Amino acid sequence: MTGLSRPARERTALLGLAALLVVLIAYPLFELVRAAFDQGWGTFVDALRGRGTPAAVWNTVWTGAAATAIALTVGTAAALVTERSAAGRRRWLRVGMLLPILIPPFVSALGWTEAFGPAGLLDDLFGIDLPGLFGPLGVVVVISINTAPLAYLVVAAGLTSRAEPDLERAARASGATAWQGFRTITLPLLRPSLISAGGLAFVVAVNSFGVPVLLGTPAGFETMTTRIYRSLALSADPEAFVGVVAVAAALVGITFLAVAVSDAWSWLGGAVVRTGTPAGTPAAGWTSRWPVIGLSGYVIVTSLIPLVALCLRALTRAVGVAPWPSNWTLANFGEAIDGAGGAFLNSVLLAAAAAFLSVALGGAVAALGRGRRRGWLGSVPVLTFAVPGSALAVAVLLAYGARLRDSLLLILVAYLAKFWALGHRPIAGSLENLPLDAVRAARASGAGAATALRTVVVPMLWPAVAAAWVLVFLFSFHELTMSALLYGPGSETLAVVILNLRQIGDVTVTAAMAVLLTLVVLAAGGLLGLARRGGASS
Amino acid sequence: MSALEIRDLDVSLGGTPILHGVDLSVAEGEAVALLGPSGSGKTTLLYAVAGFVTPTGGEIAIGGRTVSGPGRHTAPERRSVGFVFQNYALWPHLTAAETVAYPLQRSGIPAAEAASEAGALLARVGIPDLAGRKPAEMSGGQQQRVGLARALARKAALYLLDEPTAHLDAALRADLQEELAARMTADGTATIYATHDSTEAMAIADRVALMREGRIVQAGAPDEIYARPIDLWAARLTGPAWEVDGPLIGAPPGRVVVRPDWVEPGAGLEGEVGAVWFRGPHTDYRIETRAGRLEMRRPGAPEWAQGDGISVRVRHWWAIEG
Repeated sequence: MTGLSRPARERTALLGLAALLVVLIAYPLFELVRAAFDQGWGTFVDALRGRGTPAAVWNTVWTGAAATAIALTVGTAAALVTERSAAGRRRWLRVGMLLPILIPPFVSALGWTEAFGPAGLLDDLFGIDLPGLFGPLGVVVVISINTAPLAYLVVAAGLTSRAEPDLERAARASGATAWQGFRTITLPLLRPSLISAGGLAFVVAVNSFGVPVLLGTPAGFETMTTRIYRSLALSADPEAFVGVVAVAAALVGITFLAVAVSDAWSWLGGAVVRTGTPAGTPAAGWTSRWPVIGLSGYVIVTSLIPLVALCLRALTRAVGVAPWPSNWTLANFGEAIDGAGGAFLNSVLLAAAAAFLSVALGGAVAALGRGRRRGWLGSVPVLTFAVPGSALAVAVLLAYGARLRDSLLLILVAYLAKFWALGHRPIAGSLENLPLDAVRAARASGAGAATALRTVVVPMLWPAVAAAWVLVFLFSFHELTMSALLYGPGSETLAVVILNLRQIGDVTVTAAMAVLLTLVVLAAGGLLGLARRGGASS
Repeated sequence: MSALEIRDLDVSLGGTPILHGVDLSVAEGEAVALLGPSGSGKTTLLYAVAGFVTPTGGEIAIGGRTVSGPGRHTAPERRSVGFVFQNYALWPHLTAAETVAYPLQRSGIPAAEAASEAGALLARVGIPDLAGRKPAEMSGGQQQRVGLARALARKAALYLLDEPTAHLDAALRADLQEELAARMTADGTATIYATHDSTEAMAIADRVALMREGRIVQAGAPDEIYARPIDLWAARLTGPAWEVDGPLIGAPPGRVVVRPDWVEPGAGLEGEVGAVWFRGPHTDYRIETRAGRLEMRRPGAPEWAQGDGISVRVRHWWAIEG
C-alpha cells in the first residue's frame, strides 16, 4: 500500500497511462506531422504533387469507396439472411460469413491468385481465369470480401438491438408489406449501424496494404499504402522519404476525416432511444431456400475455393503440374519451415508480447475509464486503431527509428500502438456490462472487497480478458503492413518473409508458408470462439 | 359467422413443438382471455393468428376467410388483425402521431387525412397532448396507449393483445385495463387478450381459455371457469384453491377443491387458524383442519388470531377429476 489516498492513487495511475499513450502514439504522430510540414504547407503540397502520387491518392480513395459500397451491400444482405430468415439457425453460415476476418488479407489475395488467377486452380480445371484480378478490379473485390464481415457484424448487431423483430412485426400488423416494413422501419432504425459500418469499412479499405501490394503492384496499380512501401522499403533516396512522410500524413488525414464524417452524420440524425424491453422471439421469418443457397455460394466462392486452391498449391511439387495427389509432396512445407523458422519465432514472440502488454494496457484504461471519464477515454482507443498502419509505421520510424532500428522492439512499439485498442474493447465492454449489483450482492453476502473481486468480478471478466488476448495475438501474428516497413535483418516476421519470397516468385513455398500461418491464425480464432462461448454461458 | 376459427393448430419454432392441436373459436364482438403461465404458448398462439409464425399444421380462419392452412399462409399485412405488443414495440424514430398514422397510410389514406385521424385516435385513448412525442419521451402507460391507438387505427376485425399491461406498475395497470375493456366493447370487434393474471382475465373477458404447455385445457365463461375448474392446476391458475378430503366436508369420496369464498364460520369442521393476512377490504385466514388445509375469506379486519380454534362450514365445493 502506498500512503496516497484513493483519488490521488487513481490520478497517478491515470497520469502514467496518459504518458504511455503519448509515448506510443501521440509523440510518433506529432513527429510525423512535424516532418510533413517541416518546411511549411508548400512542401507538403509539393510532395503530394510528386510523380505518381496524385494517382495513388485518387486510387486509394476510389477503391476505398467502391469496396465500402460492396462490403456494406454484402454485409447487410448477409445480416438480413442470418438474422431474419430460418437460415439464421445454421451456425456454419455465420461462421462462414466471418471467416475472412480470420484469414489475413494478403493470404486471401494469394488464395484468389491461386484460385482464379492465370495458371490457378480454375484455369487448371476448366481453363478459365478472372480477367482483371491483377489490377483495380481484383484489389476492390478482394478488399470488399475482407471488409464485408465487419459490415456484417455491425449491421447484424443493429438488427438485433435496434430494429428487433417485434418492431418489424408491428409494421406488418399495421398493414405494411415486407418491403414497406423494411423501408419505413428497419432501414431508418439501422441507419446509425449502416453509417458506422460504412465508416469502419472505408477506414479498413483505405488502410489495406496486403491486397494492393499483391494484386495491384504487379499491374502497376498503386495506392497510398503501396507507394509508401515502395518508396521506403525499396529505395534509400532522401527525396523519396519526404514524399513518404507527406503521403503518410495525408493518409492519416483521410482516415480521420472519414471517422469524423461518419460520427457527425450519425450524430446529426438525432439519437434514437429504444424503449421497452427488446424482446420478441427471434423471427422464424421467411423460409425460402434461396437466401441460404446464395449466402453459402458466396462463402464457397470467396473464401473456401481460394483457401483450397492455396492448400493445393502448397501441396503440389511445382508450378505448372496438375494439383492431383500423384503430384503431392510435403517438400514445400519442409522448405517453408527451414526458410521461415526464425521469422516464425519472431512472429510468435512479437504477437505474444503485444497480446500481454495490450491486455494490461487496455484493461487498465478500461478500469480507469469507468464512470465519468468514459467519454473521452473511451474514444481514444477507437481513434488510435483508425490510424493507418502504413502511416503509424512511418511515424514510429521517425520517432524511434534512430535508437531501435532493425530491432523487434521497434515493431513491438508499432503493434502496441495499433492493437492495444483491440485489448481494450472486449474488457471495457465486459466491465460496462458487469452489473454493480453483482458486486453489491457479494458484499452483502459477507465477501470482502478482495473476495468479491476474486469470486465475482474475475470469473465474470476472464472470458473477455482471454478474448482480448487472443484477438491481439491474432492480429499481430498476421500483421504485414507495419512489419514490412519496420523490419530489418534478423527481425523479419513470417508475413514479411512470405511477401518477400512471393515477390521473388517462389509460389509453392510461399503457399506453404501462408497455409502454416493461416493454420495458426485459425487455431487462435477457434480459441477466441471458445472464450466467447465461455463468456456467453457464464 | 365467427371472427376467428382455429382448428387443430400445431406450431413449432426452430424444430421445437410449441402448440399442440389448439382449437379455439371467437365470436364477433366477443372478448376472449388467454390465461396461462409464461411459456405456455400464449404469445406463439397470437403470433400464429397474426401471421408472424407459420403453423406446422391445422387451420386458422379470420372472419370466415382461411389465412393459414395446408399450403396457404396469408402475410400479416393482409390479415384483418390489430396487434398490441407486450413490450409496446413502438418505433423509436417515429412520434406518437406518426406511429398511429402509419397503419392508416398503409391502407391508402392520404397523409393529411391520416394525420388528423391519428390525432382523433390519440384523443380517444386519452393522450391527445402527446402527438409530437417519441417513445423515449413517454411513460410506459402512455407508450402502451400509443400502441393501442396504432392497433385501433388498423380498423381490424380482430384485435390481439399480448400481455399489454405486463410491464406497467399496479396503478397504471388498473387504469389501462379499464381503457382496454372500454375499447374492446365499444367497437364490437373480437379480441383475444393474453395474460398471466387471472383477475385481469376474468374481469375483462366474456370467455377465458386456460393454456398449459401449448394446449388449451379449459375454456368457458369466467364464473364457470372459476366455479368448475377441471383440475387442481386450473383451479390454482384462476384463483386460490385448496384440495381437501371430500367425505369430511360432506362431499363424495375423491378429489375436491375449496376456494376461500366458499368457506364461512359455522358448525361442521373444527380447525385452527394457521395464518392471518389482512388485505384491506377483506381478511384471509389459513385454517388447518382434519380434512386438510384450507383458506377462508371474510370482509373487514381480522376477527381471529393465529392459533385460535375455529369452527367452519364449507358451503360449496367442486369435485375434480383424477
